[in-house]
Amino acid sequence: MRKILATSLLVTCASFSTTAMASECGQVTIADMNWNSATLIANVDRFILQHGFGCDAELVPGDTMPTGAAMIEKGQPDIAPEFWSNAMKEALDKGVAEGRIRYAGVTLSDGGEEGFWVPAYMVEKDPSLATIEGIKANAKLFKHPEDPALSAFFGCPAGWNCQISSSNLFAAMDLSSAGFDLIDPGSGAGLSGSIAKAYERNEAWFGYYWAPTAILGKYKMVKVDFGSGIDVKQFKECVTQNDCMDPKPTMYPPSAVDSVVTEKFAQRAPEALAYLSGRSFTNAQMNTLLAWMEDQQADGEYTAEYFLNNYQDTWSKWLDAATVTKIKKALLELK
Amino acid sequence: MSEKSWLTEVPQLDRHQLLDIRKTLDGAYRSFSREYGDTIEAFFDPLLTFLIWFEKLLLSTPWWLVIAVLAAFAYLASRSWKLTLGVAGSFFLIGYFGMWDNTMRTMSIILVSTLLSVIIGLPIGIAMARSNRVQSFVTPVLDIMQTMPAFVYLIPVVMLLGIGKIPGVIAVIIYSVPPVIRLTNLGIRLVDKEVLEAATAYGANSMQRLFGVQLPLAMPNIMAGINQTIMMALAMVVIASMIGVKGLGQPVLKSITNQYFTLGLLNGLAIVALAIIFDRISQSYAKRTLQSFEGK
Repeated sequence: MRKILATSLLVTCASFSTTAMASECGQVTIADMNWNSATLIANVDRFILQHGFGCDAELVPGDTMPTGAAMIEKGQPDIAPEFWSNAMKEALDKGVAEGRIRYAGVTLSDGGEEGFWVPAYMVEKDPSLATIEGIKANAKLFKHPEDPALSAFFGCPAGWNCQISSSNLFAAMDLSSAGFDLIDPGSGAGLSGSIAKAYERNEAWFGYYWAPTAILGKYKMVKVDFGSGIDVKQFKECVTQNDCMDPKPTMYPPSAVDSVVTEKFAQRAPEALAYLSGRSFTNAQMNTLLAWMEDQQADGEYTAEYFLNNYQDTWSKWLDAATVTKIKKALLELK
Repeated sequence: MSEKSWLTEVPQLDRHQLLDIRKTLDGAYRSFSREYGDTIEAFFDPLLTFLIWFEKLLLSTPWWLVIAVLAAFAYLASRSWKLTLGVAGSFFLIGYFGMWDNTMRTMSIILVSTLLSVIIGLPIGIAMARSNRVQSFVTPVLDIMQTMPAFVYLIPVVMLLGIGKIPGVIAVIIYSVPPVIRLTNLGIRLVDKEVLEAATAYGANSMQRLFGVQLPLAMPNIMAGINQTIMMALAMVVIASMIGVKGLGQPVLKSITNQYFTLGLLNGLAIVALAIIFDRISQSYAKRTLQSFEGK
């Protein structure tokens, strides 16, 4: 009896999944990561998938590690629109090899950008500050908040991956003998708060930051040139390693930021997949959008609507003409 | 849209009005911090110098001397050899597990914050006890200070004062000053009316009543308040480290993000050890002052 029940259940299940296949895209879950650019892209995707491809798209909260793990193990959520794949490279590659997930495309065409930055107004005054040599020569400008004898370098918050790389580069360029002290800002909010404080008062600031971020969109900063170029081997084998004894200077290589989808989704919605593989932002675009988002204190949904309304040239390239018309119609209905 | 009734929908500001309010207030705060930030920073400079001096003092003192001084405090406060040995032993272990410097940093912040909390809290508590109107005004403020999530005021403070010790101390004090205020108030209010009448009958004026009768009799309660203040200050260690306060909080943060369980546990235990030590010392001191009263 029980067996019959089970089989009939299986049959019903199977028939359900066939109907889902028939309606193409069906229900789609999109990971809404907890930082601004990811939540913006997730909302753009939701709008386009919903109105352009007839998906029943829904946002679910996410974060790099848990979302990545859930996609590989459980096949849910279907789409992670902004995935910093270096953060869990091995697990992702394994998931791809086992046919559970797929890289759909590059989300940020420039890649994630990291580096040491100084405010643009300082470089305008003294162009030599755009290089590490100039910074060392003018170390006195960067006042330490607690010790007048030292200069301040704002590093990466405790425990973040970039803490290792930024402190290794700090050592590689021998900033401490120029009088710099590596300050741990404690949290991302502490670090961005210190930039905002310096910028509002035209004070000196020197430290680690990354793009695309609202901070770099809002406050114009210049990436300091280490004069070393990018040495990927050195970066991978030493600078990012905790036990690196003798780090050498190298600029940060751009880190890959991809759209990751589950294999199931890729197979049932090839058209939506094609959209995802074509959809990408440059860092300059993203910084501007994020700065707008912060200035307006807008949420992801509102910013996505703003983007779709004002950046038609950008997103219409990702879609075919028929879909563009559908989206435009949906946008008109919003108002 | 207009058909929606206020009976079924929560009456709500529309998105633009709400945004305008948020943007106006934020803009006002930004221009305030641009305008007065430097002045306010300068106002806190002496405190910063003191904090740095005190931290350097603790860090440069030889470890055995620090332990000896702490043990002496423990003995003077409690007259108990067990507690004294416990204090010396746990500090030795903290050093042995490589957490000495961070513990000294945390201790310096906690001690200065507690000292400031007492300096701020006692007069406010006394004022509350003497006037019902002050009490009805201060109590809700204390409620806000104790329940408002720390990050709500941490980041504005960072905008104003930068990251580091001063904003850290301010955050710690905001969170930890309420108990000493509340219990000073309570302690003074609980002093027997008849005792006060007797003091008045002997011709004591109001200052003499306060310092000679009310405060001494309220001492056990005030000590309990200070004890709670220290505990709450220690609870803020990790939060304060999120705005760049060095100490035991930083390794805890690091272990949270990296899932280094042992590192987290060790530093967490060091915070617990500090808490227990401060707790036992202040409590046994309170108990002894109480006993000496009752003995009279």
